[in-house]
Amino acid sequence: MDFKNSGIMYALAALVVVFVTAQSLFFLVKAWKRGKELGIEAAKMKQTVISSALFSVAPAISILATVLALASALGYVLPWIRLSVIGNLAYETVAAEAALEALGTSMANSDLNTIEFSTVAWAMTVGSCFPLVLLPFLCKRIHKAMHKVLGGGTAENGAPKKGKISANVGDVLGAAAFIGIMAAFISRSIMGVQKDGPSAGFMTIAVLLSAMVFTVALDLLCKKKHLTKLEPFVLPIAMFGAMGIAVLLTQTLPPEWTEFVWRSFNENGEIVWRGTV
Amino acid sequence: MKNPRTYIDKMHMWGRIWSVSALCVLFAVPLVFSLYYNAFPPFNTFLSAALKIIPIYWLTAIVEVVTYTPMLGAGGTYLSFVTGNITNLKLPCALSALDRSGYKATSEEGEVVSTIAIASSAITTTLIIAVGVLAFGPSIVKITAPGSVLAPAFEYVIPALFGALGASYFAKHWKLSIFPIAVGVLVYVFVPTLAVGTMIFVTIVAAIAGALVMLKLKVVE
Repeated sequence: MDFKNSGIMYALAALVVVFVTAQSLFFLVKAWKRGKELGIEAAKMKQTVISSALFSVAPAISILATVLALASALGYVLPWIRLSVIGNLAYETVAAEAALEALGTSMANSDLNTIEFSTVAWAMTVGSCFPLVLLPFLCKRIHKAMHKVLGGGTAENGAPKKGKISANVGDVLGAAAFIGIMAAFISRSIMGVQKDGPSAGFMTIAVLLSAMVFTVALDLLCKKKHLTKLEPFVLPIAMFGAMGIAVLLTQTLPPEWTEFVWRSFNENGEIVWRGTV
Repeated sequence: MKNPRTYIDKMHMWGRIWSVSALCVLFAVPLVFSLYYNAFPPFNTFLSAALKIIPIYWLTAIVEVVTYTPMLGAGGTYLSFVTGNITNLKLPCALSALDRSGYKATSEEGEVVSTIAIASSAITTTLIIAVGVLAFGPSIVKITAPGSVLAPAFEYVIPALFGALGASYFAKHWKLSIFPIAVGVLVYVFVPTLAVGTMIFVTIVAAIAGALVMLKLKVVE
């Protein structure tokens, strides 16, 4: 019996999936009810559900791919569990590698014994649990502090609280923080080099630009033709469209183009300019 | 009408209960496995494995909790940290939902919308992974394997996601966007393999510093 994909592992996975789904439904129902009380139209909330679900499909498939990539060393179930709770695509692979390295083995080894396997499971769990330890202490404090500075939240009389800084300054800073996050991923697509992902070059920039062009074009279309129903789907459509462009380009253009990156690793593991993947 | 303050307070209360329960479920996995197979790792081996992971992961956890909590709202924060994949999925999802709804992140309506978005995203992701592993494991491997026709689609999912998300934001706030992207690109020129999780802090600081200067100079209002 393969212990990595055994009945007990599947039972644990079922527990995790049920738990995570239950928690999500719980918060969904609470938020929905509160939204109704606040007078948010049901249609708007429904749109949020649908567009968020659609938006999540492609990233979820990449996460699924990570699960399957880890499967040769760890079986299907442990990576599945780890990526369903707290897990993050990038971290779990690194954590599993680090734990296997400490055991003197690697991801390429597919016959771990139960002790080695449980060491990896414990190490991944201990490594990833910390946010859940911090949140009960910090989350409320951080939100209170934020509301003090930016305003928002709700005062005793039911009106939104005023912050220390004016509302528009708060808006600008909030937008800036969001932009900061996106800028990290976008600048990596423009100039970064990755070992386990595509380095920046022709393809990353082509996909980035097509996603942007699709979004702007669809947004314009929605505005011009008053297609309010299409609005929640702009982002998922643009994303799938850009992914389609990636497939189209690799199928039609010569590899000198599609494999062109600014910099890549040479055979000594050093990063050099103007190589190919 | 109920006192509106109680909604956020209740979210925090429920969030704490769910977080502690999630911790129990999380640790149940290795614990049950070790008990069932009588396979507890030798302490020293476990320690050396854990010590390789803990310093980076716990430090990252602190920074992530402090950075993302203000952006995700109360319900969204508890939910995101339990279900994971925040930067590459939950956060973009919440941001785009907020953007389309027109509510402010700090308003209670914004809190509701981001919680709904994150919950829907979490359910979708959990189900796709579950169904994918159970039913389509082998065929997904074929779809995403290098050399498959569709492989590039998934290889470039990150630029596709952030290009689409960025476009609507940058169109509205282009003045705020130029500086952090320029800083990010410049840093990547010199530190090409910097983890994106670390880069986020660089670009957030750049974006906020840039915004403060522009507010001061009245370039943006």
